[in-house]
Amino acid sequence: MSTTVSPEAPAPAPRPDDENGARQSRARQLPELLLRALLTQRIVLLLVLLVAVVVTFLTLSARNYLTAPYDASYLSATLISAVPLVMLGLAELLVITSGRGGIDLSVGAIVSLTSMVFGFAYGEWGWPLWGSIVLAAAFGGLCGALNGFLIAYIGYPALITTLATYYAFSSIAIVINDQQPISTDPIQAFFSAARSVPIGGGEDPLQVPLGILTFLLPTAVVIWLLLNRTTYGRRLYAIGTNDVAAEWTGIDVRRTRFTAYFTAGVISGLVAVVTVAQFASARPDAGVAGSGMALPAITIAVLGGVAITGGIGRVAGVVLATLLIVWLNAGILLAVPGNAGSQWQLAALGIVLVFAALLNGYASRRYGRTG
Amino acid sequence: MSSSTLTPPGGAPAGQQAHTAKERGRVLPFPITGQEIVLIVVIVALWVALALATPAFLTEGSIVPLFVAMAPVALIGIGMTVIIITGGIDVSVAGIVMVCAVVVAKAMVDSGASLPVAVALSVVIGGLLGLVNGVLIAYGRVHAIIITFGTANLFKFLGLQLFGGTTVDNIPGTLAFFGRGEAGRTLGVPHSFLVMLLIAAAAWYYLRHTPGGRHLYAIGGDADAARLAGVKVQRRVMSAYVLTGLLTGLAACFVIARGTSTLAPNVGAGMELAAIAAVVIGGTSIMGGRGSVLGTVLGALLVQTVTSGVTQLGWRSQLSSLFIGIFILIAVGADLLRQRARRTT
Amino acid sequence: MSETRTTEPAPSPPPDPGAERLSVTGVSKRYGAVRAIRNADMTVRAGSVHALVGENGAGKSTLIKILSGAATADTGRITFEGRPVNISSTADAIALGIATVYQEPQLFPDLTVAENVFTGREITRRGRVDWAAQNARVVELLELIGLPARYATVPVSELSIAEQQQVSIAKALVGNAKVLILDEPSAILTDAEIEVLFGVVRRLASTGVAIIYISHRLDELFVIADEVTVMRDGQTLGTWPIEELSVRRVVELMVGGILEDTPPEHTVPDAPPRLVLEGLSCEGEYSDVDVAVRPGEIVTLYGLIGSGAAEIAETVYGMRRATSGRILLDGKPIAPHSPRAAKRLGIALLPANRKLQGLFSFQSIAFNISAGHLPMLSKLGTWMDRRRERQVARDFIARLSVKTPHERQPVSAMSGGNAQKVVLARQLVERPKVLVLAEPTQGVDVGAKEEIHRIVRSLAEEGTAVLIVTSDLPEAIRISDRLQVVRAGTTTVEFGPGASQADVLAAAAGAVDQEEAA
Repeated sequence: MSTTVSPEAPAPAPRPDDENGARQSRARQLPELLLRALLTQRIVLLLVLLVAVVVTFLTLSARNYLTAPYDASYLSATLISAVPLVMLGLAELLVITSGRGGIDLSVGAIVSLTSMVFGFAYGEWGWPLWGSIVLAAAFGGLCGALNGFLIAYIGYPALITTLATYYAFSSIAIVINDQQPISTDPIQAFFSAARSVPIGGGEDPLQVPLGILTFLLPTAVVIWLLLNRTTYGRRLYAIGTNDVAAEWTGIDVRRTRFTAYFTAGVISGLVAVVTVAQFASARPDAGVAGSGMALPAITIAVLGGVAITGGIGRVAGVVLATLLIVWLNAGILLAVPGNAGSQWQLAALGIVLVFAALLNGYASRRYGRTG
Repeated sequence: MSSSTLTPPGGAPAGQQAHTAKERGRVLPFPITGQEIVLIVVIVALWVALALATPAFLTEGSIVPLFVAMAPVALIGIGMTVIIITGGIDVSVAGIVMVCAVVVAKAMVDSGASLPVAVALSVVIGGLLGLVNGVLIAYGRVHAIIITFGTANLFKFLGLQLFGGTTVDNIPGTLAFFGRGEAGRTLGVPHSFLVMLLIAAAAWYYLRHTPGGRHLYAIGGDADAARLAGVKVQRRVMSAYVLTGLLTGLAACFVIARGTSTLAPNVGAGMELAAIAAVVIGGTSIMGGRGSVLGTVLGALLVQTVTSGVTQLGWRSQLSSLFIGIFILIAVGADLLRQRARRTT
Repeated sequence: MSETRTTEPAPSPPPDPGAERLSVTGVSKRYGAVRAIRNADMTVRAGSVHALVGENGAGKSTLIKILSGAATADTGRITFEGRPVNISSTADAIALGIATVYQEPQLFPDLTVAENVFTGREITRRGRVDWAAQNARVVELLELIGLPARYATVPVSELSIAEQQQVSIAKALVGNAKVLILDEPSAILTDAEIEVLFGVVRRLASTGVAIIYISHRLDELFVIADEVTVMRDGQTLGTWPIEELSVRRVVELMVGGILEDTPPEHTVPDAPPRLVLEGLSCEGEYSDVDVAVRPGEIVTLYGLIGSGAAEIAETVYGMRRATSGRILLDGKPIAPHSPRAAKRLGIALLPANRKLQGLFSFQSIAFNISAGHLPMLSKLGTWMDRRRERQVARDFIARLSVKTPHERQPVSAMSGGNAQKVVLARQLVERPKVLVLAEPTQGVDVGAKEEIHRIVRSLAEEGTAVLIVTSDLPEAIRISDRLQVVRAGTTTVEFGPGASQADVLAAAAGAVDQEEAA
């Protein structure tokens, strides 16, 4: 078969990355490679920061600058606040990764509303615990399905939709029981679900909050499996990366996006159960009091390397980001006692987030877009 | 489609003689959009319904507080409209309100700051915080929602530090001019509302009739194309956040004026979402490139009407959030439908 | 390789030369290791329409980018009205009076036509936009380009694509352009609209504007151009007055010789057709299309952009619904309503726009290949069979000679040709009954193009029915067993293997009646 290559065709350019040359320059540029890993691999950056934070506070603790020892048991006990944070961070991971401006402002409101539903079922109607938990997950899923339907099937912008449902769900949560929390006996007894349990043997076993084992770890493992081992994970990353190409590839873009919001709702429903246990009461403002639960969850997700433009995000990033924030906060509480401590936590969160975002912008300009 | 009848091709040369008021009226699309007409109809319907349901609604004792209450949200909403038109968002305004309010309240309590000083202080601080947002977003090239989530935490920290764990008490009535009592009204209309209307009118004019305003729309429509056309994109984007900071500073004064003599650290909470709600109910597209200040003011009025109405009807006040949520969904849904219809014709 | 290249006539100076307006000498530009253009020379004269032609990848768009300030030349000289100039930004180009109308309209959908025209250079009176003055000027411009005056106050989003294109031209003209670059302005226009466009171009030229006109529709050149510069492989071959050229001659210059390809030894098994399009029509896009593809046969629909060929492919793949006519697969009528449905029927499609419709850019090669076959590469349609996924990716990397260290490499780091092979691999995993390829080698270098053709041919030999939609003429001729020309939304002439380029081109350009087609 003859070809159409013209005799004047340019001589093939020398291959830019010759194997040997590349290896040599790689060895020479080790610091450059480390910097690159730090800037482009969020996991690496978070690990470095996490170690830096823990080492700093351990040192301060050893020199008695802190009001109480910053040690393993303290770190373990503070993990109780990581439970809702990781779970909702994972919920945001799903919806943000689904792309098209994905975000869920309503997770906190779903927590509030589902807390009340769970409170009714377990505290007043006398449902068994497992039944009440299933109901909470299903109800949260229903709320998420409403978001998902409007966003994926009707084409509403996610930010606006979830702002609207945030208003609606939090309003219903307050009105449903006339602003009153539910703190009947079964609910109060449910506080035991928030206790710590010993892990490992020896004289001084580590006390780990039960919620870590019953809620956080299972959720993290399930979401990790979902994203990394199932066809759904592939579809989710595909629509988040390029939803036009996903459509041309034959992926059901709308159903995939819908499922992301639905799953975020289910996780929020489970967080409601955790919250009821922690408060020993089903509170109508559980997820929206103060600055609410949604904004910290989004912050954690973004800090964990979830790209707001979609298609990029890892479970490990969210977990590490939460640990970083929780243990940084725990240290701050010991260094700056009282009210001021919780204020400094806000500052720390803000600074870390802005810093991470600017770093992201810089890294993507320098190295192109990466996971 | 515009139904205007301009000079047909080959007709009278369109030139200098086109400068009549009549012609000028036709050289622009109609100043009120479909969304705004719908909003006006809905608001009128609500007012009529509320007036029929509770005779107390259409009285001074009910309408004046409604205006006083909506003024700060509408004012912040004006800035938020400008930001959202450029394709951005600012979720840190609640933090700005908090910082400005506590600084001004302390200045009045501690050093007896006068009205002009208090307002200037608040506006300048708001502008500076807006500048922080603007610089980070325009020059750091990071998505606005992430940066403002971050600065929201920082501003809240700053505010809480200034509060120092307690409330600010015994605030003098320096700011009563903005709507507390008889001194705060002209012809029965609270000054905060009037000031807000004046600023809204100015913003409306700026957005609709000046090159700078039109550039904001161009940036929201396609920032790269705007850059190719010679628009100074970064500077314009930054100024949108500074403007919002300035307006939020003034809104903080309104908030103090409408409150009691005590300022609690929860001041401003939820105002970022309320302002965004007013903007999107008003028909401004969250994707950027389209929107108007008139819609935002109407949106704020609708939200406040619902809030006041729910209270007046003796329902749980929190029920108003449910209605606001539903209104947002209806407003955005109507906008989606209209756009879809327009695209298929 | 055919050695029968004709000698090129020495370019003679064009008759009646206007003053030299813009001239480039020895301009080169590299992108990494790729030399986009080498030593390009071109001189554009005032009042003249200067056509710039060449195949995809010949370097036209790079040259245009350099002139419009969107890219800067590595070496070479640009002179404007005799003075050497330095164009380092789009603002520089605009300041000189070089205006560019890009293929994709750079417009703001929610602003009115008048505003779009004046964005960045508003007429103001005391700080206020002088709407009346702007409008008056826009009405003049609209009249000039043949749009109704009332469009001045209509948002651009309410205009058709063709009208938006015309608005882009108005936008370029408002700054009193001295050089107007039109990048394939006719590609998306109908014949009637093209007539209007020509009128505009002629009027502008008569006022002394120098026009650089880029087009793939060679027949147009003979209607509108005064001079023609031909590019090939990043070089300018020369500039000829239009009188010295013919369509055939331009094609020969573009492709570098008279192509006397020996058609491949390929006999199509005599079988009933697998895919049949029968009187297929889609309102506003194409009408009365008749195509039949047998198993093992490669049928090409050759059509210029906007001819409707791309839309026909989309219909077969379920991205678009036909309004009348039938699609038959193995004799049974089908009506796929989504790509998913089409895939279930055994129809695969390689989309035309690789970046937008094909690639998951920052994901790995394996991800990109498996994304189209998740049910097959999983257990119970849920659990990914990662070993199999890896294996399939490696198989296809080897089979299609994708150059990459491993299958975990993100596709964003790959060259156009390699990335295209990855997208092609995605279509082949579950061997399709019908493979539709839209612009299979667009933006792909010559070597990879050969390989992709080889792959497609071997697929056909294994019994796949292949339908190719392309606007690349040499490709259409070389690859197909049968070639159908799509023009103005319908299938027209059919050619067998070994058709001459000039004949096909003439048919596609609507010049069947010309002597050229003989």
